[in-house]
Amino acid sequence: MESSGVEELGLASGWWIASRRRLMPDDPFFSAGNIERELLAKQVALDLTEDERYQLQKMEVANTEPVFCPIVGCAARLNCLEDFEDHYHARHTASCSVCSRVFPTSRLLSIHISEAHDSFFQAKVARGFPMYECLVEGCGVKLKSYKSRQQHLVDKHKFPATFEFYKKAHPSKHQRQKHQRRQGSYPKDASKHTDMDLDRKSSKQIYHKYRPKKASLKEGKETEMEVEERMDDLVSAVSKLSTTDSSPSSISFGHRHARGFAFIPRSINKNGKQTAQSEAKG
Amino acid sequence: MADEHVPPQSSYHRDSIKSSVHNSSAQRRRQLAVAVGKERREALIRTKRLCREALFENNEASLEGDMNIDEERAVLNSQASQIIEDLKSAMTYQGKGAAQKKVEALRALRRLLSKSEIPPVKAALQAGAVPLLVQCLSLGSPDEQLLEAAWCLTNIAAGEPEETKSLMPALPLLVAHLGEKSSVPVAEQCAWALGNVAGEGDELRNILLAQGALLPLARLMMSTKGSTARTASWALSNLIKGPQPNAATELISIKGVLDSIIQHLRNLDDELATEVAWVVVYLSALSEAAVSLLVKSDVVHLLVGKLAASESLQLLIPVLRSLGNLVAADSYMTDMVLVVGHNTTDQILLGLIKCLKSEHRVLKKEAAWVLSNIAAGSVGHKELIFSSEATPLMIHLLSSAPFDIRKEVAYTLGNLCVAPAKSAEQPSIIVHHLVALVNRECISGFIHLVRSADIQSAKLGLQFLELVMRGMPNGEGPKLVEREDGIDAMERFQFHENEEMRIMANGLVDKYFGEDYGLNE
Repeated sequence: MESSGVEELGLASGWWIASRRRLMPDDPFFSAGNIERELLAKQVALDLTEDERYQLQKMEVANTEPVFCPIVGCAARLNCLEDFEDHYHARHTASCSVCSRVFPTSRLLSIHISEAHDSFFQAKVARGFPMYECLVEGCGVKLKSYKSRQQHLVDKHKFPATFEFYKKAHPSKHQRQKHQRRQGSYPKDASKHTDMDLDRKSSKQIYHKYRPKKASLKEGKETEMEVEERMDDLVSAVSKLSTTDSSPSSISFGHRHARGFAFIPRSINKNGKQTAQSEAKG
Repeated sequence: MADEHVPPQSSYHRDSIKSSVHNSSAQRRRQLAVAVGKERREALIRTKRLCREALFENNEASLEGDMNIDEERAVLNSQASQIIEDLKSAMTYQGKGAAQKKVEALRALRRLLSKSEIPPVKAALQAGAVPLLVQCLSLGSPDEQLLEAAWCLTNIAAGEPEETKSLMPALPLLVAHLGEKSSVPVAEQCAWALGNVAGEGDELRNILLAQGALLPLARLMMSTKGSTARTASWALSNLIKGPQPNAATELISIKGVLDSIIQHLRNLDDELATEVAWVVVYLSALSEAAVSLLVKSDVVHLLVGKLAASESLQLLIPVLRSLGNLVAADSYMTDMVLVVGHNTTDQILLGLIKCLKSEHRVLKKEAAWVLSNIAAGSVGHKELIFSSEATPLMIHLLSSAPFDIRKEVAYTLGNLCVAPAKSAEQPSIIVHHLVALVNRECISGFIHLVRSADIQSAKLGLQFLELVMRGMPNGEGPKLVEREDGIDAMERFQFHENEEMRIMANGLVDKYFGEDYGLNE
């Protein structure tokens, strides 16, 4: 292949490189044409009917390699690529009705809801209960803080150090504007946060735990202390709210565009089987 | 019986005698077909070919009637055993008319093995057909005997793997009878048998090559007699198809082969051109030496001519694929042969467009592949394709066609938007092409690929989104991607098992939908 140096570089950084693609004669790409060749050569002799042709085409599709779902921990086997989209929507679009974040299993969704939108959860955390569950199904360990859970994932389950479970979804422009309107009514914690209210369009960030590098350069690094402080503010602020079931839709945790990778290794689903049916995307 | 002079390849000439088909026999064949089902389907897609009798002989069969499959099988099997016994005694018979007796027994066996949908090959093998047939092939035997024996072996080899492999003892003799001293029908029939053997698999191909089958078959391919050239070409295509490249390389080095290929492609006989084109398919796919010779020869122009002019699916498939292999293998094609402005270039584009418009999935898919490789050429090529009918066709296919076609079309459309890469630099974007495609709503088609389970396609989709977000003027790209739910598609990769994809997708989201996104609205 040509320009392989650029190609390698491109692949690494995700650029489109226009290059010729050569295929070997036994490449599955050619199998449909090969089959057609044989059919055409024999159809007169063997008096091929329309129905048979159809059957043969179906057979050819069925003979293609099965597709395995690439979502971590799933490995569901699908007959063909077309089936994958249905599978994905049925199994991996458990979405949070509060912040629209999508999770690949219902367990992770419910962990997210507790941690991100449940005031009761935060209250218990503030009182020192170990509430942060390990994300790996079957592990069972609970930690007292997000950070220590993070550490557990890295130490025990070989997660990358940059893994972030919190990562706010990117709402559509319409949703962003909706959030902004709702934000108007929420009490502002003036002194600490005005200068951090960078993104006018997004919902008010009362808890800036994660920020992309740009912001932290402007704002200075947060220390763990500051984080804990704001946590206290949060807990007290939240506990002042009425404790109805539904959290206010304007509260959101984690900065909108947090950096880092969300990564959950295969070990999450130890049995290798698909988890229970998750909610369909609302 | 008057069938001694019927050329075995009569199946090629079916069309001319269709009128003599008995409706009932056609009907019965269909019923049989439904019942046989899987067996028949497998037989249909095999790369082996059964040698049938001419249709007008079928009425002699007392098999036509109310028998069901099992009955018919039983009858055929017992007939097979009986005939083999006859043959055995004919072989040992020393008296007058011995030769005739042998031929008659062989003919009976041949008919048995060519008439039915379910020839009793296993029964014949069990009764000991092969050793007898090998004996009948001995050098110096009368032509008729050789012909019938080779025909029997042809049909024994047309079936299942074990049946084909049973021909092993016969191979050296079959190869021997390919020689120039043999009568043409005999050589042709032996070529057919060997074609079936080669079609079985790699192992048998290598054995045949070791036994020297290539050279005599090549010579037969160079014959001026149509049916001989056809049969030999077909057999050769089975013999050189690899995966090892040595047979293909050896073939092109034989003196006269290239010229002969050119001659046959010039011929008006489409069937011959089809089989020869398949030889070119394998030559161009496997042999570098063949590629360099082919791209400089008339073969390209002839293939392009056929691509543009022919309506025969059977011919178009190997022609298209040969051209595809040549374009993919050697930049000489886009640099020197398919130069923008040359007639050949215009013609190939027309031919490819015709294939894109075709109802046949294979033609659409493989034409898109060829186009994608041409679109990987110079800016001139990109502009040529972009301004042609191909672009709107592909845009439509991107959203409506089955997955495999969409993928190839995606490669082409993306290639149109990116200038040739210079070493180690990020390739520059051909903005007016990109803008035009985006305005025709291509983004959603690529986002659909991003959501695919196929990693290559997902990567392709992400790479296109990168082009859009980087290259659209006025920083419009990210907005456009967001509008088509691109962010959602990219965020799926957070929980994807492939690290490269996660990094790529997350990188794009972080870069283009970072903190400043949406601030200036």
